[in-house]
Amino acid sequence: MKPISFSWLAWRRRCVNYTATGLSLLAMAFGLFWLLWILWTTFSLGVSGLSLALFTEMTPPPGTEGGLANAIVGSLLMVGLAILIGTPVGIFSGIYLAEFAQRGWLGEVIRFMNDVLLSAPSIIIGLFVYTVYVAYRGHFSGWAGVLALSLIVIPVVVRTTENMLRLVPSSLREAAFALGAPRWHMIMYVTLRASLAGVMTGILLAVARITGETAPLLFTALSNQYWSTDLDKPMASLPVVIFKYAMSPFEDWNKLAWAGVFLIVMAVLALNIAARTFFGRKMV
Amino acid sequence: MQIQEKTLTAQIRFQDFNFYYGGFHALKNIQLDIYQGLVTAFIGPSGCGKSTLLRTINRMYSLYPGQRAEGHLFIDGQDALAKDVDLNDLRKRVGMVFQKPTPFPMSIYDNIAYGVRLHERLARGEMDARVEWALKKAALWDEVKDKLKQEGTSLSGGQQQRLCIARGIAVRPRVLLLDEPTSALDPISTLRIEELVSELRGEFTIVIVTHNMQQAARVSDYTAYMYLGELVEYNKTDTIFVKPAKKETEDYITGRFG
Repeated sequence: MKPISFSWLAWRRRCVNYTATGLSLLAMAFGLFWLLWILWTTFSLGVSGLSLALFTEMTPPPGTEGGLANAIVGSLLMVGLAILIGTPVGIFSGIYLAEFAQRGWLGEVIRFMNDVLLSAPSIIIGLFVYTVYVAYRGHFSGWAGVLALSLIVIPVVVRTTENMLRLVPSSLREAAFALGAPRWHMIMYVTLRASLAGVMTGILLAVARITGETAPLLFTALSNQYWSTDLDKPMASLPVVIFKYAMSPFEDWNKLAWAGVFLIVMAVLALNIAARTFFGRKMV
Repeated sequence: MQIQEKTLTAQIRFQDFNFYYGGFHALKNIQLDIYQGLVTAFIGPSGCGKSTLLRTINRMYSLYPGQRAEGHLFIDGQDALAKDVDLNDLRKRVGMVFQKPTPFPMSIYDNIAYGVRLHERLARGEMDARVEWALKKAALWDEVKDKLKQEGTSLSGGQQQRLCIARGIAVRPRVLLLDEPTSALDPISTLRIEELVSELRGEFTIVIVTHNMQQAARVSDYTAYMYLGELVEYNKTDTIFVKPAKKETEDYITGRFG
């Protein structure tokens, strides 16, 4: 016969095990519940607003038919340019931090400031650009929006680039040096290449982040009811149009806002899935 | 300890050589001649300084602040510790293969061509020939000739290590440093690397660090036994293994210690 204390211990362990598993499942279900609800609401309310006009017509005055063409183009332009400006700056800074300033006070200071910038509320960045650029120029403009968005991109890209480069084993660096490679050559062709997948993922995440940013655009690009690709003029964007239309009492505006929300959620979802399928596999 | 053979030329010469990791005195007063075209093995228990000594020959330690060498190290008669030494040029002449295979994240072909492109400007055909030559030298050509475009990381561990040897050879160095090149490999891959070392003997000066005494006995012409940062005994491998001059060496080799 087994000693009684033994089986009691096993029984207690099994109970604790089941409780812990159950609790963590519950926590997961709780989080997933809200996420699915958000997706469902977006889908059910947004999909009815989808039409060809959404992509071809301008944002309308209340009571008339229209679409989001100017806002979609404005968002694409500003997000695209912000990435174009922010990515190289971010990658080079990340390289500096990971390859040249692993130790030392300067690297520490930059790393700390970058973390502060990374977690700064985006409305602060909007107000900053408003003060130094919009107020100075005397009018809202697409360029101001680009500037604000790229200031959000930079710290994200700096962080991911540095982290990904640090994952590259130092033996790979030594191997390149042992062949007589200068440092810049080693970085460009060996370490950056080894972490390319991670760096690209970081850029895609930055795109996803700024696609939905409203506050920095509200103070910089404002919005524009008409078609405009002139970056020196106020420019429409999806988040700002959603903000404006969702808060309005007009039903057709609300419907357009939901369609805009749906577009952004789908774009961000697609980017995340793309990041995972193209680069996720290769990541170590 | 003096070796009397007129035909031998000392390609690498350590004289009153000391090495420090910060405040730690890792190599003490090393006097050592490594001969051209021969295979020299460094043996000794863990932490004795054999890898440290190897890594001074291509000045690998210069990457790390706080590590410094004192005394003299001559390679082909030139002072390798001088301030004005071009490290990239030194490392072109002294190649190195590491304990763990380190293929670059690029194709097999580009892995070999990478080092060559750093130092020479070759036409496409010449580069192809060089890559083939290096892969043949490293006894890897037959296994990879049909998949040169594949990633270097797709090869097996033993193949990766031979790829790294080929990459080192492709630059046409005069010295090849092998830092425990088989310690991460299976016995069959180990055997192939050892055969390779024997084939490359004569063409390159090879220095190999190994914790495996049988390996040192099989592949090397000369063996240096190190202990606690000192060079205890250095002689022809046969002499070291059959009739060591010092008691410590004999104890280590016969397995009574270490």
